[in-house]
Amino acid sequence: MILDLIKFILTIPFVLILPGYFFSLAVFGRSNEKISFFERSVLVVPFSLILVDLAVLTLNRLHVPIRGMVLVGTILIISLVGFIVYQYRFKKGLKGVEKSEKISVSEELFNFSFWQVIFILISLVLAVFIRVAYLSDTIIPSSTDLGHHMYWVQNIVNNGSLPTYGIPDFIIGEHIIFAVFNLISGVEVMTAFPALILLFINILGIFTLTILVARLFKKKNATTLSFFVAGVLYAVSAPQGKYISGGVVGNIIGDMLIPVVLYFLYRALKERDQIFAGLFVFSFLGLLYTHHLSAFVLIFSVVAVLFIYLVLNIKRAFGIISDWLKIFLKPVPIIFLLLAAFYFLFIYTPSYFDKSAVSQATGEPSKITRTGLSLAQIELNVGSARLLLGALGIVLLILSFKPKKYRYSFVLGWTLVLFVMAYKPGWMYVNIPSDRIGNYLFLPLTVLSAYALAKYFEMLRRSSTKFFAAAFLYTLLFFVITNGLADSADAFKVKNQFQEAMETFHSAQYLAQATDSGKDVILKDHVNIYGDSWYKLFFMKDYKYPLSRGNLSRYDDPTKPREMCTRDMISSPQSAEASKCYSETGVNYIAVNAQIEGKSFETYPDFSKVYGSNYVSIFKRD
Amino acid sequence: MTRKNIMSSKIIIITTLALLLVGFSVLFIVEARNHNFDYKKDWVAVYFENPRDNSLDFTIENHQGGKATYGYKIFIDEAKTIESEIEIEKGAKQKISPALDKNKLNGTEKITIVVSNKDAEYKIYKNIQ
Repeated sequence: MILDLIKFILTIPFVLILPGYFFSLAVFGRSNEKISFFERSVLVVPFSLILVDLAVLTLNRLHVPIRGMVLVGTILIISLVGFIVYQYRFKKGLKGVEKSEKISVSEELFNFSFWQVIFILISLVLAVFIRVAYLSDTIIPSSTDLGHHMYWVQNIVNNGSLPTYGIPDFIIGEHIIFAVFNLISGVEVMTAFPALILLFINILGIFTLTILVARLFKKKNATTLSFFVAGVLYAVSAPQGKYISGGVVGNIIGDMLIPVVLYFLYRALKERDQIFAGLFVFSFLGLLYTHHLSAFVLIFSVVAVLFIYLVLNIKRAFGIISDWLKIFLKPVPIIFLLLAAFYFLFIYTPSYFDKSAVSQATGEPSKITRTGLSLAQIELNVGSARLLLGALGIVLLILSFKPKKYRYSFVLGWTLVLFVMAYKPGWMYVNIPSDRIGNYLFLPLTVLSAYALAKYFEMLRRSSTKFFAAAFLYTLLFFVITNGLADSADAFKVKNQFQEAMETFHSAQYLAQATDSGKDVILKDHVNIYGDSWYKLFFMKDYKYPLSRGNLSRYDDPTKPREMCTRDMISSPQSAEASKCYSETGVNYIAVNAQIEGKSFETYPDFSKVYGSNYVSIFKRD
Repeated sequence: MTRKNIMSSKIIIITTLALLLVGFSVLFIVEARNHNFDYKKDWVAVYFENPRDNSLDFTIENHQGGKATYGYKIFIDEAKTIESEIEIEKGAKQKISPALDKNKLNGTEKITIVVSNKDAEYKIYKNIQ
């Protein structure tokens, strides 16, 4: 146990820091006025994540087996290449820049005062503590999504190559990093490590939002407060703690990468800098390989930001477009664009990159869950306090509106487009579950909330009549803290289901040993067995093996006919439909909840009960 | 860039890493301890050793947190033919091979095994053909 923990902890810097550090060294040198120590420290992780993904994709394309030692060597080569580029670019011609002792503007942005540091540290302690407390009751690998993802991770580990999914639901970047950790550290997939990686990325997401806030507003108070708003408020609700324990891998990584992509875009446009333009393309490439929904949402966000900026500066529109082209038609972004195109065309095309997947996600909403959220649902989704602060932020931003500044278009465009996509998706021809879109609203609202609080503090300081302003501020803070921390109380109320999970694993182990997966066909119940999605890891036969009775609402799909056999064989096993299904599918073992369906199955004469525990019963069809 | 300028950044980053290190350690240990059939658990499993044939060898696993005595009865259809009990250590399992009188079997019956401990009963059965 302790050895595994040590191996896991040592693997983190090797995989998630080392390659990114040398990449940043190659791009920015050891010290650079463009980027602060703080920003570099944050960005090395997304850089590493993207580099490792691209490296594994390349290995797979070259048919090099993906094994531990190969990965160690690959990461060392990436780091060495970064170091050589750094030596070439910075040690020869730019020594003056390297040794500059000037206090750069970038460093000053993150040079916090004593009290700001204390506030940030308290926010971080709370952010980590609340998440750890919540996760401590859900840490045994048992969540449905994580089980599905870990099947593919185990598939990579077992085969030494990347899988062909055959369905657009999974994206390779959701699995590579976990496979790399397993292959290098040797720590098993069915341990805490997948959730710990998600926790690490989720906490890093606080920092990526923070550097974006710092660059957008250049207000240290806003940066300081963003730690609190992003890290502490609604720390348990989706898409925070609940997404970590739920194994919503793509969203967690996407929420960390989206601010990075926007950070580079903002800096590329504002500073007319080709390096940042190149890094925008690079980080966007990473997102495209990691999560389709996040990339989809980001494309809309970027278009909205640029469109709003053009509309607000309509008289200079052609000049602005010409400026943008000048930024992006330079060597660095072009190299990264060519790299992205090369990877997409020749190295690995993401599974969702086909016409049918695109047409499924766009067009008129086809289901009731895709027709948009009500305002009350949006409030529930993002949290009342964050919505209130976000609205206040918009008002304050509009009051000091300067259309020429990119920051206004960035924040307003980002917020507006996500709001419309969640509220009235039909207007944007978006055909995706609205609550999934709504989960991204927390990103711009966090930026706005931090700005609102910082701006209000500023106004309070300047105000001549402080009483009413202070009374409003304290009332607001009281509401924000009580409402924003209410969900954190759940962290201490969760009843763990460790025993149920272990009984589920025991039943899976029994079936894996006692049956012949070449002849026998197993059907298990997802509705009433906790942790059942991990069943497939005991067989590693196929993603869809064992068969599963899914959530009952899924069988009622107005958009397309669904197979009903997996439902009927458990819900009404004596029916004519079920008999036909048993013959057609060859199902001869059924795993169900002992207290619910298990009692019913005991009354059916066609089944033998071959396994019984407090929680799971297994029946064999005679 | 001076050391003083990046000191606050360093403090924030080092503290975050330290917090994560502690958090990871706590969660890793919590998971490793609980990822166990016995730690803070109270359950029993009864199963046929081979569900694919007509053999009646079965196993009782004790995950009740202490040594326990299990009574078991074997029925051919409704008729009780064997009754016995067995003591099993905490976390251990015991395989039982019942010796049924073959004269009592006519070829198509339901063999039921009922294992009991205190108030709880665990039943498994096979339709022998």
